[in-house]
Amino acid sequence: MVQKNIRNFCIIAHIDHGKSTLADRILEATEAVSKREMTEQVLDSMELERERGITIKLKAVRLIYRAQDGEEYILNLIDTPGHVDFSYEVSRSLAACEGALLVVDASQGVEAQTLANLYLALEHDLEIIPVINKIDLPNADPERVKRELEDVGLSAEEAVLVSARTGQGIDQVLQAIVERIPPPRGDAAAPTRAMIFDSHYDQYRGAVAYARVVDGTIKLGDTIQMMSTGRQFEVTELGVLQPGFRPVQALGPGEVGCIMASMKDVRDTRVGDTITTAHNPAAEPLPGYRPAKPMVYCGLYPVVNEEYTLLRDALDKLQLNDAALTYEAESSAALGFGYRCGFLGLLHMEIVQERLEREFDLNLITTAPSVVYRVVLKDGTVKEIDNPTALPPMTHVEHIEEPFVRATVLVPDEFIGAVMEVCQERRGTFITMEYITPERARLEYDLPLAEILMDFFDRLKSRTKGYASLDYEFIGYRQSDVVKLDILLNGNPVDALSIIVHRDKAMARGRALAEKLKEVIPRQQFEVPIQAAIGSKIIARETVRALRKDVLAKCYGGDVSRKRKLLEKQKEGKKRMKSLGNVEVPQEAFMAILKVD
Amino acid sequence: MGVYVHIPFCARKCHYCDFHSIVVGEADFPGLVDSYLVSLRREALYYRKLWANGPLDSLFFGGGTPTLIPPEKLAQLIAFLLAELPFTSDPEVTIEANPQSVTPQGAELLAGAGVNRVSLGAQAFQNELLTAIGRLHRAEDIGASVRSLRSAGIREINLDLMFGLPGQDLAHWRATLEAALALEPTHLSCYALILEPGTPLASWHEQGLVELPGEDEQADMYQLAREVLQGAGYEHYEISNFCLPGHRCRHNLLYWHNLPFIGLGSGATGYLGGCRYQNAPDVEGYIRSWAEGKPPYLTWEEVGRDQEMDETMMVGMRLLEGVSEAEFRRRFQVSLREVYGEAVEQLLQQGLAEEKDGRLRVTELGLFLENRVSAAFLR
Repeated sequence: MVQKNIRNFCIIAHIDHGKSTLADRILEATEAVSKREMTEQVLDSMELERERGITIKLKAVRLIYRAQDGEEYILNLIDTPGHVDFSYEVSRSLAACEGALLVVDASQGVEAQTLANLYLALEHDLEIIPVINKIDLPNADPERVKRELEDVGLSAEEAVLVSARTGQGIDQVLQAIVERIPPPRGDAAAPTRAMIFDSHYDQYRGAVAYARVVDGTIKLGDTIQMMSTGRQFEVTELGVLQPGFRPVQALGPGEVGCIMASMKDVRDTRVGDTITTAHNPAAEPLPGYRPAKPMVYCGLYPVVNEEYTLLRDALDKLQLNDAALTYEAESSAALGFGYRCGFLGLLHMEIVQERLEREFDLNLITTAPSVVYRVVLKDGTVKEIDNPTALPPMTHVEHIEEPFVRATVLVPDEFIGAVMEVCQERRGTFITMEYITPERARLEYDLPLAEILMDFFDRLKSRTKGYASLDYEFIGYRQSDVVKLDILLNGNPVDALSIIVHRDKAMARGRALAEKLKEVIPRQQFEVPIQAAIGSKIIARETVRALRKDVLAKCYGGDVSRKRKLLEKQKEGKKRMKSLGNVEVPQEAFMAILKVD
Repeated sequence: MGVYVHIPFCARKCHYCDFHSIVVGEADFPGLVDSYLVSLRREALYYRKLWANGPLDSLFFGGGTPTLIPPEKLAQLIAFLLAELPFTSDPEVTIEANPQSVTPQGAELLAGAGVNRVSLGAQAFQNELLTAIGRLHRAEDIGASVRSLRSAGIREINLDLMFGLPGQDLAHWRATLEAALALEPTHLSCYALILEPGTPLASWHEQGLVELPGEDEQADMYQLAREVLQGAGYEHYEISNFCLPGHRCRHNLLYWHNLPFIGLGSGATGYLGGCRYQNAPDVEGYIRSWAEGKPPYLTWEEVGRDQEMDETMMVGMRLLEGVSEAEFRRRFQVSLREVYGEAVEQLLQQGLAEEKDGRLRVTELGLFLENRVSAAFLR
């Protein structure tokens, strides 16, 4: 296929504005052609499927579309992740495209992620096609949405009105893609450069890279080289997804496909990296690569110490498929041996945790998430701390810096006050506010990332009746007056419960945390004092009173089985708790800090 | 060793009760109830053939409300069981009764049939509390029943009392204990109210319609029962049971010693020949099943040696005198310490158990936290 008949695009939208439904309709509308193409290829691909069973994910789908000019076009639809944790991955997907469909819900209008995605797309010089979706709904107000689009600098006339649900307007969308998105410009003769925008791990093939070729060609059998690491691999399979896997001999400039080259895990196929060929390497990689950098850390510990090696094996396996996950062994006086794990954000952390528990059947304790603090010592050296217990004694510390983000919040004007309150409670600094429409405002605040981790979005939602939308990006480190808050159970400090907090908040957080712990720690055989302390100063104290009665004083007569079952159930519940000294602490206690305020 | 007979009939279901029973009226006699009594006889004959554990010295009628059966019919059933099963010459024969269902004539008939022990479901001596838990009797019925039983010659009388009831405070409980003592029973059972899922009381509690004494207050009530009853000369011999010296309940002791017994009736459990069974809690199914000569088991399990040991400890530690180490060795040919060394060590350390005179038993603290003691022996 000639380059001028290729269109690479993605769909960007605020959550729930209908991105995936629109993608489905587009697939369906182009399916007839694709189906014919696919049947021609069935013989080739069948053997492959029989042999190994294809597990390729639809990261990028090649669609064949016959346009009104009578010509066939290849439309490559490139998937973008939908969460702020993965904004770097989103940027790489955008970099693989020349255009984007910006989907806006006809009743909801422009939201924070609409804007964040729009600006990101504009940064990559993408042609934007506004698509106003859900126009069939009774509360649709396309005219208002058009005004909002004008307000953010887009041409409302060019907006395509669709209902992804009914299929109305889909042809116009396809036609707009062909007419308005420019074809890729790449130099077929130049040394090969292809950008990896996604990857996944297949247990039979190893890492599969999804790449967009910019210059040159990648051919089956080529020795390719990853420009960030210099590692070389021989291409064993090349293909496109249509949406079934279809092997190809080569991928030329502008083309999008997947590359398999016996790479052992996804760290060989880092998102944003440039692939070149070993025999004629490019001088410069494509711009924009940066290694995935975890923003949030937490400790993961098995409830039962014996499961430590199982946890390690599980993390090893997960990392094959998740280049952003980092982990290293650590130990806690309270929890024993575990791992300090780094994540892109809270969502990423939750996903990993859930997979570990569900797919690997592990019973885990997760400590409260922490950001990475930069500690500048009196001798001028700088230490990066991702675990509160690693904080050096304050007498050695010159100052501490914490990561900040710039948060963008879109909200109807009646909730501006509420948003400001929430941001101020969270140590936010007001940057700017503007009305994007007469009723909707856009606020920018600089906030410590640590505060965002503490249930910020839920709080924002609840204070604005669910109307606020949020997006944020990392902007750098700033000096901050933070202190370490320790928790003592029964007089003994529990390292896994320590947190770093701002001095102004320490008192309130300490008190709230002690109260919360009192709620979640069950009564024990003896009284358990809970103390919050900064250094040697106790700032809060609560007491879990001793359990006075735990006895089946009921007449079950000869029903020994029933008695036994009741006791066994009770015993089972205790197994899920961690024994710290002689205090039984449930898993949720270690995450209690996220539930206070 | 003994026989338990379940009579799953009630005039009305109490609000807290999750034991197997069905509400029956006049219309169900003779039909359903008579058929049930016939089935009990069939079941007794079935187990007569299987029983190989030696002479029986207790017979216990529980429910439900056994005294809902007309006394003459009960008398016939008792006579049948005593004659057909290998009982000793002086078995303890207990029947559970509700205070309103005991009449002077009924008491005479029961005594004549061989009943020598009656367990009265007194529960409380405050009418508002009795109403709150759905009991049919009034406080004044309790004394009247006790007098009828005494004049009929029944000497062994137990009163069941409950604490932790909705609206009950420590003063109510003290009054209940004192009123009970005034009737001079030989035996007293003090049970804590337990909210069982599916009972009206549990759902009312969930909806916030009834308030129950808290955990600490319940502990105080339990403590008070100990003080008052021991002060009056009663021996606290099992978690929930007190008696005048020499008046322990023979039948319940066999449960706490984890000994075999025959269970008869719909929903009843039994333990013989190294197997535990439970009959399905279904009166009509029970009758049908015995009409065909088949036991209506809901569950049936073989109890292996390890499980028998665990269960012996689990129930044995409910007795304040604890478990005799010599007795354990005699029964299992292995020492208690050899099997449960670690668990015992931990319990001793935690102050939940102590060793005295060759017995392992709960401490005062362990008594209040007995679940932890029993659970320690479950492997």
